[in-house]
Amino acid sequence: MPRVLIVAYGNPLRCDDGVAWHAAEALESRFSSSEVEIVRLHQLAPEVAEAVRHRDLILFIDAACPTDVENGMPGEIRVNEIPQPATPKDDAAQFSHVYSPVKILNLASELYREGPKAFVITVAGERFDHGDGLSDAVAAAVPTLVAKVVEIVRGQISNS
Amino acid sequence: MSQESTIVIDPVTRIEGHSKITLHLNEDGRVEEARFHVTQFRGFEKLCEGRPFYEMPSLMARICGICPVSHLIASAKACDSLLAVRIPPTADKLRRIFGLAQVTQSHALSLFHLSSPDLLFGMDADPAKSNIFGVAEANKELALDGIKLRQFGQKIIERLGGKRIHPAWIVPGGVSEPLTEANRDAILWSLPDALATAERTLEWFKSTQERFREEISTFGNFPTMFMGIVKKDNGLTFYDGKLRIVDASGHVVADDLDPTQYSDYIGEKVEPWSYLKSTYYKPKGFPDGVYRVGPLARLNVADRCGTPRADQELAEFHELQRTAVLSSFHYHHARLIEILYCIERLESLLNDPEILSKHVRAVARPNALEGVGACEAPRGTLFHHYKIDEQGLIRWVNLVIATGHNNLAMNRSVLQVAKHFVHGKKLTPGMLNRVEAVIRCYDPCLSCSTHAIGQMPLCVELVSPEGEVLDSVVRE
Repeated sequence: MPRVLIVAYGNPLRCDDGVAWHAAEALESRFSSSEVEIVRLHQLAPEVAEAVRHRDLILFIDAACPTDVENGMPGEIRVNEIPQPATPKDDAAQFSHVYSPVKILNLASELYREGPKAFVITVAGERFDHGDGLSDAVAAAVPTLVAKVVEIVRGQISNS
Repeated sequence: MSQESTIVIDPVTRIEGHSKITLHLNEDGRVEEARFHVTQFRGFEKLCEGRPFYEMPSLMARICGICPVSHLIASAKACDSLLAVRIPPTADKLRRIFGLAQVTQSHALSLFHLSSPDLLFGMDADPAKSNIFGVAEANKELALDGIKLRQFGQKIIERLGGKRIHPAWIVPGGVSEPLTEANRDAILWSLPDALATAERTLEWFKSTQERFREEISTFGNFPTMFMGIVKKDNGLTFYDGKLRIVDASGHVVADDLDPTQYSDYIGEKVEPWSYLKSTYYKPKGFPDGVYRVGPLARLNVADRCGTPRADQELAEFHELQRTAVLSSFHYHHARLIEILYCIERLESLLNDPEILSKHVRAVARPNALEGVGACEAPRGTLFHHYKIDEQGLIRWVNLVIATGHNNLAMNRSVLQVAKHFVHGKKLTPGMLNRVEAVIRCYDPCLSCSTHAIGQMPLCVELVSPEGEVLDSVVRE
């Protein structure tokens, strides 16, 4: 099993919400399947906790609302390492519609006693209406997003 | 002057989709009326007009992220009618396998992720703890089993359809690709563990029932008819068969009904306070023609499951009441029996000698201008009805969704629970949770499968006609 897991999630039919899927397509050719597993999901669900098992590094890629990101501008990329152990207080969402990377890692820790290194990489979106294309700002950010992911993954692999 | 008040529960939590419940109190502080409002509007019946008919399965799958396979099946069957083809036998079996996998994962979602917190912690538990994370803390094996069964069903869908959500494998005329030997063997290998998990969960569930005597007697425990598709021998099925309706005593009201002629006996009514249409059995009129569909209904309508362990459990299930099993609380029990059936049935289908045949699609041009497809979705009977023009473009669509069949019964259930548990001017989480919990019994699928951005805070206020807030409950 690859020791690195990339979880690209979002709705590819809601414009910028699908940026992670676009990035996943570009990332497929950058790694061997024995090194990195890339999954595309519409949303995070409890089952992702099982996929997190036996990994050294997890990268969650998603779009973000500019209003949810302080001083966020469309196309802006943010990389945040999830502190371990992630606590429920780090994530106030109580509804299953909004499973977050933190909740998934909490669940994995509770069920499997595993706590891999994990990052959340977000791209601030501009358009979230119906459509399968990215806005100009987000489309322009994809190469940088891909480069950032490659940098993190290569760093992990070389340190292993 | 009237002192009537209204309690609003918005949103209803731990269901799929967006809805709210309003409880109208009389001047004595007792619930007089209750309504289950579906607050989301999808509009699929209109947005498909003008599209080529062969796009419909893929389009319809996007109605929902929990049960897309059911929409794929019903839509593809409607398209099969437009083509006037009989699909290859192997394609028929493969579609059934796909549907069984989906029922398993959908039922697992309902029980483990949405309802198990109530069953484990009780209806008066702290809402902050009543979720899958609380379950993982309190009963790790239960949480692991829930993830395991969901993964089991989703992996089958992914192996056959290429992805877990909105797979495009089912097409007009059959399926797009045959089953490989490797995939068949992998699925067969996973069956024993899934069966053991289902058995274990069923035993745990039965052990919890004694704590919920009051809920069992008040959660949608009233007489209605029950409807479902069954095989010719009245056995349980999800893919194809005849429609059968029984009454609350278990007596057959109608049998051998052709699902494609559904409009002859199923009426639809629009209510001004909800986007969800209510259906009713036409011969009895509205609202007396109320009936229920889904797991509870299927096990009331079917004479047998047709697989050994499921049939054993069905016999025990039928002993719950001398009549048809009426309490909607028993939907949970029925769901678990159906999971057993699905796993057992998967084994027999996968061991069919022709399951690896490469002949999986019938090809034709449109030969009819109208087609109806019907199947049993996890939540109940589903109809897709299309009309096309000479160029094969969609001109008219009618969808009768499983949850719509249960709309009348859900509203009555909310009223029954609210009358029993909600009173006075003081709200308690336990009162409100029971009102929500009865809706969860039906596992309504209100089509919220897409990535949701943002929080959904729950605030319930009891407000007097003068605008004074008498009491409020906030979940954030």
